[in-house]
Amino acid sequence: MEIGVVRRDGRGDAFFDGAAADRLVIKRCGGCASWYAPDANECPACGGELGWATASGRATLISWAISHGRPPGDGPVPPPVLALVELREGPWLHSRLIGADRADLREGLPLRAHFEHPEEGESYLVFRPESSGRTDHFSGDRPREEPRS
Amino acid sequence: MREPEGPAAIAGLGMTELGKVFGRSPRRLAADAVRLAVADAGLALADLDGLLVSHGMSGSPGIELAAALGLGDLRLLTQMSALGATAGAMISYAAMSVLSGAAATVACVFADAPLRPERPAGAAYHRDAPEYHGFQGMTAALGFRSVNTFYALAAQRHMARYGTTSEQLGAIAVATRRWAAGNPRAQLRDPITIDDHQRSRWVVEPLHLLDCCLVSNGAIAVVVTGAGRARDLARPPVYIWGWGQGHPGHRRAGGAHDEAGEWGLTTGAVASGQVAMKMAGVTTEDISICQLYDCYTYTVLVSLEDYGFCAKGEGGAFAASGALGPGGALPTNTGGGQLSGYYMWGMTPLSEGVIQARGDGGERQVETNDVILVSGNGGILDHHSTMILSPHPRS
Repeated sequence: MEIGVVRRDGRGDAFFDGAAADRLVIKRCGGCASWYAPDANECPACGGELGWATASGRATLISWAISHGRPPGDGPVPPPVLALVELREGPWLHSRLIGADRADLREGLPLRAHFEHPEEGESYLVFRPESSGRTDHFSGDRPREEPRS
Repeated sequence: MREPEGPAAIAGLGMTELGKVFGRSPRRLAADAVRLAVADAGLALADLDGLLVSHGMSGSPGIELAAALGLGDLRLLTQMSALGATAGAMISYAAMSVLSGAAATVACVFADAPLRPERPAGAAYHRDAPEYHGFQGMTAALGFRSVNTFYALAAQRHMARYGTTSEQLGAIAVATRRWAAGNPRAQLRDPITIDDHQRSRWVVEPLHLLDCCLVSNGAIAVVVTGAGRARDLARPPVYIWGWGQGHPGHRRAGGAHDEAGEWGLTTGAVASGQVAMKMAGVTTEDISICQLYDCYTYTVLVSLEDYGFCAKGEGGAFAASGALGPGGALPTNTGGGQLSGYYMWGMTPLSEGVIQARGDGGERQVETNDVILVSGNGGILDHHSTMILSPHPRS
């Protein structure tokens, strides 16, 4: 499945500004400091106003699905892996995995945010396994060297 | 001497043609179904003093349906929405209205017409666009363009956690199709095998095409009234013994209550089942027949676990044991469900529950039909309803 062209809608612009600079910018409550997904509107915990804040970009895999597309499929290109991830800060996001070997997919797999910068449209967020070792595009939280699991 | 009014009962069932039914708007279909349900009960439209209208896809009718039916002097009129749990919510509201005296005879209706002659069925619930806007648009751009993708994530999580297999999901598709063979209203009646299931194309892995429900046009209505009155009407009453809802507030949907993050592993069937069975005074041991909301084979499997028909994680083995099909220990989705019968949201399991309670199931009729469990599931496992129905008044 081709990734569609993404445009701003005036409400999530801080997220896309962050994505363009390889930073994961999500919502955070000014009252109780709880973190939320970029499309959250208010804080369910305390009713407080949500602002934007830079998250660590670290996440773990909750579940995944393989999008094969309609026949004849996507040809020789491996079908994309859609993913439900939990950010270290708590929110769950729906995204894609890149650089993941299907045999390695498991709940709890450590992931790191990664941003793609297409020629057309906004930058977008995907995730890649921590153990894939590629962290070159991410600057939100400088990676520590961690043993491969 | 008049028998006690309680509990409330379903006295009428109206079903339009279902499936590729074109040329009638949802409002027209809804009006037709209400007329059919009222006639089935042996009533006239003027006997209704309540009307509950379900939300559906775009174009579904609202409370203006009352005027379209020429209904006046109503005591109860509203549109309701709990997505796939709406049928259960409507029936419980109607029953509470009858029991409280707020209204005496209430029609509940669902109508939808998402199918169009010129486009494939999947297009009704799928969005492809040249461009996508905002953060949610980005999610769609990345591939989350239909509910299928979200249910695929849920099913995959259950598979990874508990070892549930695609073949076990296939056993549900095969059993449901066997039931459909006995239902003249079912859209798909030709037998299928596990092999057919395995060879059907991926919709989104791990969901094959034969894991996914149909899309249908049409409408279904029921009439709820007091049990005493229902006994004087044309058809045998179907007594409403219990009802319940469950809305877990999963973190996936931004909810704050699902601290353990159990989305995909457990559902609102846990809470709604407990409430409904307690109200009805029954346990899973007493349930003769299940009519489960089967938008996917997986929702049947997880519902069976959450209701307690088997242990958590053993739904796959339970389904593969043959319990669900004709001749099995727990006849489930005896009209072919949404997978093979017709997709009228929560009215699919409810209508077959009424048919089985009345003994109107023809060649698919289950002999023991004393206690029937009917479920509803809305959103992506976000909203759940349960009803307990019976051909007998509660002792």
